[in-house]
Amino acid sequence: MAEQGSSHAGSSGHSHLGRYAGVWLALCVFTVLTYSVSRVHLPSPWHITVALLIAIAKGSLVALFFMHLWDQRGANRLVFATSLVFVALLIGLTVADNATRFPLANPPGSAGALPLGGSAGEPPGIDGR
Amino acid sequence: MQASPLAHHFESLEKQTHAARLGMWLFLATEVLLFTALFAAYGVYRFLYPEGFAQASRSIETWIGFVNTLILVTSSFTVAMGLDAATRGNGRRTALLFAVSVLLALAFLGLKAVEYSHHFQEGQLPGRFYTFEGVQAPGASLFFALYFLITGLHAIHVIIGMTVLIVIGTRAGLGAYSAEYHVPVELAGLYWHLVDLIWIFVFPLIYLI
Repeated sequence: MAEQGSSHAGSSGHSHLGRYAGVWLALCVFTVLTYSVSRVHLPSPWHITVALLIAIAKGSLVALFFMHLWDQRGANRLVFATSLVFVALLIGLTVADNATRFPLANPPGSAGALPLGGSAGEPPGIDGR
Repeated sequence: MQASPLAHHFESLEKQTHAARLGMWLFLATEVLLFTALFAAYGVYRFLYPEGFAQASRSIETWIGFVNTLILVTSSFTVAMGLDAATRGNGRRTALLFAVSVLLALAFLGLKAVEYSHHFQEGQLPGRFYTFEGVQAPGASLFFALYFLITGLHAIHVIIGMTVLIVIGTRAGLGAYSAEYHVPVELAGLYWHLVDLIWIFVFPLIYLI
């Protein structure tokens, strides 16, 4: 029993109810917070930054305490951490690619330039530059 | 419990539990990446059409997403409480708490249905089906294509999670698990928390932008 007891989701014996209730309260508070912050119209980059930071805080609470990563062995943490690395690569590189594009023309701005990302959809060079 | 839950190819119940948990985490990692592909597409098109995305996002009802977030977070809490009951061998309590979670999930899907039918009436639809007068900026129809893909795939996960909770909750109520062995309860809970985790990111990106 003692040996098997330690194999529970980190919950060896003592109750986690207090912790769960605290996490649930924090998640509700964060949800109200992110909703009210979105009503205040923050300037462009801060709007999404604050919303995402709050989402990351909430996600961490769920993963660490509801999903018990906090008191789990290395292997499971590693699997999840690895998936997060690939999340960062997939989103980061894809968006960075689009964010760093420039019109391909030599000299810059001459005819035949491909449109910048913002005006995608127009065929190249139609803006008559 | 009639038969021992320990499969013959495992040395001890502890090792079997760790193997089961690791397998579940690997599966959850693939689920995370499945949604990440959609989030990456969202990131690209949001970057290309910032104005269309902002206007389209403002045209949908924020309060439904807000209430749905609270509902899902609460259902995650009741699932966690259900696991706590299972660790102490109280299968009936687990069944009850999982049933509460399933009801909350039904409320979530109900609100989603209200939302979807509203989009269909307004013509807030993907691609050439987009007929919404309110927002005519380029990219608005792309926003709704991604909106339906992301929330639709998430709703499918909610339905799968509900099914898992119903099956495992019923078994727990019938006394299939004990304080020593309740891995299925734990893994069902993990799946449900992942559904919640994904929604936590869907909510700001789709509704709050």
